[in-house]
Amino acid sequence: MGMEAPAEVEDAVLLRAAADGDLGAVRVLYERHAPWLTARLMRRCNDREVVVDVVQDTFLAMWQDAATWRSDGEVAGWLWGIAFRRMVSRLRQRKQTVLMPEWDGAATGLLPAAEDQVLLDVEYGDLGTALRRLSPEFRAVVQACVLDGLTTREASRLLGVRENTVKTRLHRAKAQLRGSLADLRLEGLT
Amino acid sequence: MSTTTWHADPNLLRAYVEGRLDAVLSASLERHVDACAHCRSQIGPLVEVPVLEEAWSGIRTGIESGRLPLLVRLAQRLGLPEPTGILLAATASLRLTWLTGGLVTLCFVTLASILADGAALWPFLLVAPLVPVLGVAVSYGPAEEPFEALTVTTPYGRARLIMIRTLAVLTLTLPAAALLGLTLPGPAWVAVAWLGPALAMIPLLLALASLTGPRLAASLLSLGWTGLVLFAARDLPSTWPVEGTQQVAYLTLALLAAAFLWVRSQRTQQIGVAL
Repeated sequence: MGMEAPAEVEDAVLLRAAADGDLGAVRVLYERHAPWLTARLMRRCNDREVVVDVVQDTFLAMWQDAATWRSDGEVAGWLWGIAFRRMVSRLRQRKQTVLMPEWDGAATGLLPAAEDQVLLDVEYGDLGTALRRLSPEFRAVVQACVLDGLTTREASRLLGVRENTVKTRLHRAKAQLRGSLADLRLEGLT
Repeated sequence: MSTTTWHADPNLLRAYVEGRLDAVLSASLERHVDACAHCRSQIGPLVEVPVLEEAWSGIRTGIESGRLPLLVRLAQRLGLPEPTGILLAATASLRLTWLTGGLVTLCFVTLASILADGAALWPFLLVAPLVPVLGVAVSYGPAEEPFEALTVTTPYGRARLIMIRTLAVLTLTLPAAALLGLTLPGPAWVAVAWLGPALAMIPLLLALASLTGPRLAASLLSLGWTGLVLFAARDLPSTWPVEGTQQVAYLTLALLAAAFLWVRSQRTQQIGVAL
């Protein structure tokens, strides 16, 4: 949106305007949040049409529920919650292929720049290494339940395994993570 | 702390958008982006414009066509697709007055049964099973159906439409009726037993309706049931209409009706073609 509308108008304020039927406010929110939301959905589903549908549904849902939004959290997180859940429920309706992210950085040939390493250290550090040590099934469960914040039920739908399997895998994955984090700490000391 | 001062390198963001990052790095970046409005905005120019514009035009149309009715949104929350929600809302809101009427009547007959101190269960037994079945029947009258056009042009098969509506009516009527049943005097099992004829009448209604249309079918069924209950009220025990042998008879009839519907649908490809 233009120059005179600085991006500094807070999401919550725009959301309130959207609740009052201000299409412009919806547009500003869309410009602010749709791109990263789309990019993130594209990393999880390789069907362009599904992504377009989900983005559309998400913002319509945002507009429908704007009035009931209580400003006790980030609008971004809220939107992502809606979007990802919609995508998972779309998978129930049709058998869509989902791209689960590549776990082996070597295959992509992209090493994080020294500066980007900061990000890893800040947010993950040892955890990244520990995650990479997990078997693919376990990593998929951790990705769905822990990183993407799905419930075990939604994760079971996403991954196409039974709910109990998700629970067991998550449980074991956590135990393995704890184990390797302890190992990594000890390795660091020596 | 440092997430507020550190920002992702444009190349890193580009690699993320193009899917060249591995999962751990992607996940780290996503966690950062969750909390960093600056990096979120940096992703903007990297995403294909056509995708964004396509989604936006849908949103615009959605907003301009107005907010969906509360019932539709409720149905959507429960995970039903929007067209189903709209059909349900059309059924439910049209029948709301009717349902209220049915439930009020039910309250009165329950009261009557209570006041009669268990001596007269028949008012309840007469009305309660008819509430759901009539609810299903009246959801089809073209005379009072402004959504008739929608029903006719709906992309659903008739059978699916009928099932959706029947289920909706049952969900709306049964819990209330069952609660009222609990307050009845007399043996506790009556509170559940009346569900037998109530549920058996649904396939019967649908089968009859496929021959005669819903109005006549509902009238025939109501007459039949009234006759049965009143006949029993004269000198048989008050719980007679819902006792074991009779339940078996209802079940048999229901199964026959279901079989009839099935055969008919095999022949005509549509259940309740006359509905």
